[in-house]
Amino acid sequence: MKRSAAHIVREYGPFTGVDQVHGVTYDGERVWFASGDKLVALDPDSGITQGAMDVAAHAGTAFDGRYLFQIAERRIQKIDPGTGRVLASIPAPGNGGDSGLAWAEGTLWVGEYRERKIHQVDPDTGAILRTIESNRFVTGVTWVDGELWHATWEGNESELRHIDARTGEVLEKLEMPAGTVVSGLESDGHNTFFCGGGQSGKLRAVRRPR
Amino acid sequence: MDSLITAAARALAAGDPLGALNRVALRDDPQALALRGIAMAQLGDFERARPLLRRAARSFGPREPVARARCVVAEAEIALVSRDLRWPTKALELAQATLQAHGDRINAAHARYLSLRRLLLIGRLDEAERALASSDASSLPAALRTIHWLAIAGIAMRRLRATHARHALAQATHDARQAGIPALIAEVEHASRALAVPAARLLSGGMQQPLLLEEVEALSTSGRLIVDACRHAVYATSALVSLGRRPVLFALAHALAEAWPGDVSRHELAVRAFRARQVDDSHRARLRVEIGRLRTELRALADVRATERGFVLKPLHAPGVAVLAQPVDEKHAALLALLADGESWSSSGLALALGSSQRTVQRALDALADAGKVQALGRGRSRRWITPPVPGFTTTLLLPAPLPGD
Repeated sequence: MKRSAAHIVREYGPFTGVDQVHGVTYDGERVWFASGDKLVALDPDSGITQGAMDVAAHAGTAFDGRYLFQIAERRIQKIDPGTGRVLASIPAPGNGGDSGLAWAEGTLWVGEYRERKIHQVDPDTGAILRTIESNRFVTGVTWVDGELWHATWEGNESELRHIDARTGEVLEKLEMPAGTVVSGLESDGHNTFFCGGGQSGKLRAVRRPR
Repeated sequence: MDSLITAAARALAAGDPLGALNRVALRDDPQALALRGIAMAQLGDFERARPLLRRAARSFGPREPVARARCVVAEAEIALVSRDLRWPTKALELAQATLQAHGDRINAAHARYLSLRRLLLIGRLDEAERALASSDASSLPAALRTIHWLAIAGIAMRRLRATHARHALAQATHDARQAGIPALIAEVEHASRALAVPAARLLSGGMQQPLLLEEVEALSTSGRLIVDACRHAVYATSALVSLGRRPVLFALAHALAEAWPGDVSRHELAVRAFRARQVDDSHRARLRVEIGRLRTELRALADVRATERGFVLKPLHAPGVAVLAQPVDEKHAALLALLADGESWSSSGLALALGSSQRTVQRALDALADAGKVQALGRGRSRRWITPPVPGFTTTLLLPAPLPGD
């Protein structure tokens, strides 16, 4: 297992009217992040927010190429990013104990925080297809180049972890600086992870190691 | 943090404890327990809130010391508001140190002010004043600044510094409005009213006169020799002699000051100081000894001279003598004065604050209850005492957010 310190390349925020950042996703142009009662869009180049949609947003956020998925209380809602309308909803596998959310190859991946689990879920029914166990509280979940990464957050400590999607074995760890926690996690598909900063109201870009 | 915890914490922050409970009522993980505890406290159910917070503190893991410390702070705050002063201060000190070490400056300050308010409540003014002097509130949130100024006002009032108290209360009013917490604003208003009602009675030359705190302050710098029955002390501008632990000497000084410029007979002094029904030779012998002791104590302020029938007080420099008494002449005035803050007290809390035994306090409370002057709530260990009528019960809980943050 490789272990190294996370390299934070950029810090966004805190933003006016945003007191917490939960789930994070990326639609190819904009970063979307969940902030309790709204989803906020951010241009990662300029660092300027591009507006927000009023929708319950308590934990993970994902993007399937067309729609946004957002965990709110005990459910996962499918949202039209153009109008902010909720199109459908399925039960979340952790029944409210859910944290991170990611989309990959036609299925949703959901972190269950204190249960230290990641579930693979059918996006139409919410049925659990598979469950991976971790040994730390799981927050954000993301896929990049066939690699499954998740964030951990216990107390005031966080790590980003690359794990084997079949066995749950930890392949690589990036340790965040003390007191810097990671809620939501999303990759930009290349060299960067976007990390939600919880109650700090910040978003951080972390370099993905190669 | 997970989805429902976030939703519940948001409901709590928005002042909707029932909404928070709806979301986490059936969960027993530490975060849910902490939120349930805080919600219960906001709903006024302290009996349920405290065990929930204690369970939450116990079940947070070794990597979550900050969350655990916040639960300890919340539990201590509930104890303070319910006037249960026997909570472990050590745990609060440790929690404060943990919060400070992890950079949670605001909750660390919150913990510090809880310790300080407890000191104030049990009358350890010097310690409270030292702690206040070393804390800078200017960078804290408005709610904590209000607490800071209220503590300063509390000390100033007990130390008879009316101008100081008025200034601190003006600051507290300003900060409480900025914090926008109605209960806190009400608490400041309640404290401010104390400046407008008599703080003491002046007995001088057979006359009585109610005094406001400002007038008491003016009196203490008037140069007169004051025998103060509110604080059990004798003072003039030059010096102060505390007789708090010498009740017989104070009773003698009190009797002599009341009669000044006249003298008091040996018989009357013995009756008042020794509560004797019949005065015999042994009382007279004891009186000589006690007068000697009083003379030693007061030597910087006054002389006690023998007259034909008894003794007379002769102030050394002061132009006059006055007695300052409790505003109501009531046997249990000190007890009622504590209860007058409108909070519910446990008998052990009252005993701690008065520095007397719980049994004495219990007897006094029973007597006052029979007279309809106080009222008991609850049974057994959770029994609390209040003065009727209950004026809206100001229990200002600021409660730290129990969850780990950045």
